[in-house]
Amino acid sequence: MEIGVAYDYIRWEERAIIDAIRKLGHEVKPIQVSKKVFWLTEMNGFSGLDFVIQRCVSFYRALTSTAIFEEQGVTVVNSFRVIRDCEDKLYTTLRLSRNNIPVPRTAVSFGREGCLSIAEELGYPLVVKPIYGSWGRMVSRALDRDSLLEIIEFREYMQSPHFKVHYIQEYVDKPSRDIRAFYFWGEIPAAIYRVSSSWKTNTALGGVAVEAKLDNELIEIVKKSGDIMGGGVLGIDILESRDGRYLVSEVNAIPEFRNTVRVTGKDLAKIMIEATIKNMKK
Amino acid sequence: MRKLECPVCSGFLEIPDDAVSGELFEHDECGAQLELEVDESGNYKLREAEEISEDWGE
Repeated sequence: MEIGVAYDYIRWEERAIIDAIRKLGHEVKPIQVSKKVFWLTEMNGFSGLDFVIQRCVSFYRALTSTAIFEEQGVTVVNSFRVIRDCEDKLYTTLRLSRNNIPVPRTAVSFGREGCLSIAEELGYPLVVKPIYGSWGRMVSRALDRDSLLEIIEFREYMQSPHFKVHYIQEYVDKPSRDIRAFYFWGEIPAAIYRVSSSWKTNTALGGVAVEAKLDNELIEIVKKSGDIMGGGVLGIDILESRDGRYLVSEVNAIPEFRNTVRVTGKDLAKIMIEATIKNMKK
Repeated sequence: MRKLECPVCSGFLEIPDDAVSGELFEHDECGAQLELEVDESGNYKLREAEEISEDWGE
């Protein structure tokens, strides 16, 4: 097979994917999206590829280049729809909730009064998140009415219009960790706890990875969540509440996995490519 | 391995032969985050990596 790897930067993960494709005996075509010209009115010479693994760290580069590949006949993992839907936390929460996946109680408002009304219902503390964004960036915890209003004021002065969509979520008092489970085409090859003394457990913010074993309830939640969001290759984040509930907080369509490989010993790049090829042959 | 100059401190880094354009390297001596650039003629050079943007992440 000839497999494309679309990227803007080669981090540890992209290097591992390129090496895995070669070790499995396939041809790899690295495509540095950020340095290319893509014609929308003419073909761009990728139609010979069997599929493309999308790995851009920039969401907009990932989404737009995936649109071009797909519309010009090349299958991309993950698809345009999956990348778009998972990036949008509002849509992810809506879709999971509508399909009976447990998620934190969440509401959206476009103004201060609405935010205060949500807070009256949820109580404090609560969490205010950008609907787009990663690595815990600008995710804020409001401890009381004053801090909520301060957070909203900061958001109202942000230039990007999406900051005026106030996504407000119950604060889940979790046991100093959350769970990142990997979903590859319906299977769960690995999972980790992200342990942190901070309420934000992202490994990008210093959360420490520890291998996690999932019970049957969580395995079912992860598999269903992945299926509902459109399948493919995903990283699914789950919170555990003190009263024993599992709550899906986010689904990531271009997941990083360096720390998971380090602590689990699982060759996730190889497993990802093998699982994707198997799925393509179906 | 290729030896390339760090654009920040003018020290040198060893870059693997199979490195591709866009590959990120940290210069141990000065801590700079660097991106490998390969031009159309196949010339290699390092430049400072782009700073994290609002839409970056997973």
